[in-house]
Amino acid sequence: MFPVLAFLVGLPVLAAIAIVLIPKSRSELLLPVAFGLSLLPLAVAGYMVWTFDTAGGFQWVESIIWMERLRIGWTVGVDGISLFLVALTAFLFPISILASAKISDRLRGYLVSLFILETGVLGVFIALDLVLFFVFFEIVLIPMFFMIGIWGSSNRKYAAIKFFVYTAFGSAFLLASIIALAVNAGPVLQTVSFQWNDLAQVPMTSAAQTWLFFGFAIAFAIKVPLFPLHTWLPDAHTEAPTAGSVLLAGVLLKMGTYGFIRFNLTLFPEATVKYGKWLALVAVIGIVYAALVATVQPDIKRLVAYSSVSHLGFIVLGTFALTLSSVQGGLIQMVNHGLSTGALFLLIGMIYERTHTRKIADYGGLASTMPIFSGFFLLAVFASIGLPGLNGFIGEFMVLIGSWQTFPVLTVVAASGVVLSAIYVLWAYERVFTGPPGKANKDLEDLNSREIAILVPIAVLIVFLGVYPKPVLDRMENDVNAVISRIEQSTNYERPTFDLEGRLTVDVGVPEQGESPSGEGSE
Amino acid sequence: MGNIAFLPIGLEVGLLVGALGILMAAVMRGCRTRDWAIIAGTAIGFGFVVSVRQWVVVGDIGPQLAYGTKGIDGSAVANQMVAMDKFGALGGMILMIVVGLVLIGSWQMITDLGTRGAEYVALILLSVAGMHMMIVSANLVMLFIGLETASLALYVIAGFLRDRRGSDESAMKYFLMGSFASALFIYGVALVFAATGSTSLYGPTSIGMFLGGNVMPDPGILLIGIALILVGLAFKMSAAPFHQWAPDVYQGASTGAVAFMSTGVKVAAVAAMVRVMYLGFFQFYDDWSMAVALIAALSILVGTATAIAQSDIKRMLAYSGVAHAGFLLVAVLAARVSLDSMWFYLATYAVSLVGMLTIVGVVAGVNSGPVSIDSFRGLGKKSPMLSVAIAVFMFSMAGIPGTSGFIAKLVVFTAADLNGFRWLVVLALLASVAGLFFYLRIIVVAFFDDTDAEETPSTPTGPRIAIGFAVAVTVLLGLWPTLLLDFAREALPHL
Repeated sequence: MFPVLAFLVGLPVLAAIAIVLIPKSRSELLLPVAFGLSLLPLAVAGYMVWTFDTAGGFQWVESIIWMERLRIGWTVGVDGISLFLVALTAFLFPISILASAKISDRLRGYLVSLFILETGVLGVFIALDLVLFFVFFEIVLIPMFFMIGIWGSSNRKYAAIKFFVYTAFGSAFLLASIIALAVNAGPVLQTVSFQWNDLAQVPMTSAAQTWLFFGFAIAFAIKVPLFPLHTWLPDAHTEAPTAGSVLLAGVLLKMGTYGFIRFNLTLFPEATVKYGKWLALVAVIGIVYAALVATVQPDIKRLVAYSSVSHLGFIVLGTFALTLSSVQGGLIQMVNHGLSTGALFLLIGMIYERTHTRKIADYGGLASTMPIFSGFFLLAVFASIGLPGLNGFIGEFMVLIGSWQTFPVLTVVAASGVVLSAIYVLWAYERVFTGPPGKANKDLEDLNSREIAILVPIAVLIVFLGVYPKPVLDRMENDVNAVISRIEQSTNYERPTFDLEGRLTVDVGVPEQGESPSGEGSE
Repeated sequence: MGNIAFLPIGLEVGLLVGALGILMAAVMRGCRTRDWAIIAGTAIGFGFVVSVRQWVVVGDIGPQLAYGTKGIDGSAVANQMVAMDKFGALGGMILMIVVGLVLIGSWQMITDLGTRGAEYVALILLSVAGMHMMIVSANLVMLFIGLETASLALYVIAGFLRDRRGSDESAMKYFLMGSFASALFIYGVALVFAATGSTSLYGPTSIGMFLGGNVMPDPGILLIGIALILVGLAFKMSAAPFHQWAPDVYQGASTGAVAFMSTGVKVAAVAAMVRVMYLGFFQFYDDWSMAVALIAALSILVGTATAIAQSDIKRMLAYSGVAHAGFLLVAVLAARVSLDSMWFYLATYAVSLVGMLTIVGVVAGVNSGPVSIDSFRGLGKKSPMLSVAIAVFMFSMAGIPGTSGFIAKLVVFTAADLNGFRWLVVLALLASVAGLFFYLRIIVVAFFDDTDAEETPSTPTGPRIAIGFAVAVTVLLGLWPTLLLDFAREALPHL
């Protein structure tokens, strides 16, 4: 069988090598070549989405054990949980490269960083070997560190170091937990193994589960980031170049939420049931807190950064609510957030290139000078606050309706986050776009064709996923269901069911085998 | 034994002949530095070939002991002095590679020194012979001889640039503290001899045999002896709290000398410690392993915490070396489960550090004493290749994936965890994160800061080869670690 996933992850590496090989005299070729090469992983990802078997399970699995004694190797596979994160990653990179047309300083290094970043992120989402996962999880830091540090704005050094050390701190816990997990499973497996498949079968004492659950959770909570571990994010976002912000919000943060589902929920079911509510609580605090902080930000990029913290709280809440629609909603919300926040950062980058300010107070009346720009901005804003018909609605609605059954109080509080998000972004929109344009903003040019070309694909997806999310949900459903079923089998947890005055009981999850998986609409 | 008569010490003999050859060549008319290079290169190459030959021979006929004394009846051979095994052979290969890189990287300084350069090269060859002797010694007395041979040469090397002020201080400090540590070591050997009646690690009259056959109701003297031996070796590898000399010595000595003494001695001392502790005192494993774990923890904490505060690269690397001595002691504990992880850590750290110090030599001059971090400012623009190499070495020392340093930490920590030292592993991992502060700082200065200085440091061919080799090894072993791990798995000491 053709190693699709090795090919997928290898393509950006080859692209990076190709970029290095372009001679200095032809440096005008760098950007077009990079863009062209970045379309190849997208094509592979498109093929994967297209041919993905909705029955679920890991597909395109490759396993080559490479250090036999520790059972470390190239074990990769894609299931319904990771499929769309892979696709989102492959989708956002060409866009990021297009959005980097204004980078002139050390462009070659910049593009190489981008491609290495793509390799790392793709690797994170496909790795089924814990060491391999960790390797990719950490490798991502290096290009991002350089992107913030070299191509960032004024306070970039501080932000880059803070980003790197903060996340590496979580990674230390992750690595310690991974090693401890493999060593603990040693007696059962008769060998030390870092294979996800092996480890997922080993029963663990609840004490071990607790320790390891929190070891993993710290790393992922920093990455997501969950309140109160979020303080690196606004700095990193604000200082990063546009493409850096887009990718940071679009895919890097998802490495944390993905990690929760792939590792915490699967490997430590007992601890998940026991302590998941605390993480959900922290997530909800983050939703409200970050929304309030976002409201008062004078810097528009910081505002969007805090809105990321708030939105990702929904994903974590949904993840630990452990119902089909909440986890699935969290997953689709990962994609949605990548699109809508990605679009917002792109738009902010475009206006920053024109005005060189990120202060909301410096803007005003852009709607009259830049109508196309404000149109796209409004679409992204609406997607972000979850206007029905756009993608954000699907995700947040599913999270809220699913979490209601597990954590009713928390869900009510979380729902206020939806309202708050409407307040802060619409207020920001009002200050930036409405009213008479100030002196400085009178002569701004509207978007050019390149910028429109960047935004159109995102806009199309925003609308498409809002209207017709079924293809995405179908592909996720069985695997999400499998995760929750695993928890039900290994603990006394049962997913809640609707009980409408005793007349009828509908399982929110997929019913028995054989019946057609019906998705959300049927309840 | 006839056919291997000289093979067990072939490496030492070759290096000594090379050292004498260089000294003679230096006083001959018409001999230039290039000729010393040829002699030194031949000696080192010969040493490497001998190590490979040892590896092959041991593979055929098994590990051997050599140079013992005959027993009373004239037949039994006891008190053998040197072991020939794959352990020593791999140690020899690593040492030869390291010393080769050091000499290639700092040859400029040797040329600058004129005639005295020959002495410098000869001393380095003598010292490395002593280091290898430490690794292969089958007897504590032999180990002491190796230790002293290596150290005495190093004391001189540390103070070699005698017209510079810091150089005297460097040599004097190293000499005083080092001889103190040597004295402690030999006193420890004496106490062990008093307790067990033996200084030998192998054979019927060895320490291990005695401890295995006799129950010691009150092992106080033996334990003090073990402790003093540990202190002596820990001093040589600059583990805390025996590290105080390292920053001053590093700062005062020339960069090439630092590269040599910070890597070679660590390789020798760690390997010797593994052999002595596991083979000599395995019955007291519980006692000494706890001591080693505590020294490791202290080294990691002290080294990391102090390195953060440094503004001089050499001092920073000295303290980071203290932290790495701690990691290496974790590897000593891990060696009970997997010896290959210890070899991997030793080899990759040594190569990365030599590469890094060679860069320091290129940027700040090989003769330089103190080197401020600022001298790296803006290097990313002035010479991108050099800066990428810096990034590779720094990420490797910090243990970031994609480099050999990560794999080294992974295998060592996994083995240490398997061996029951989970607390140490967690502490070491957290300290690695703190270590990022100073490793990243160099990258930040090199890449993120701009500079006004126009001059571009051009990299001469020698350092270019050394740095290129070190980068290649660091990246290659980071991506394909089994290359060395599978090889090192066989590098067991004679049992």
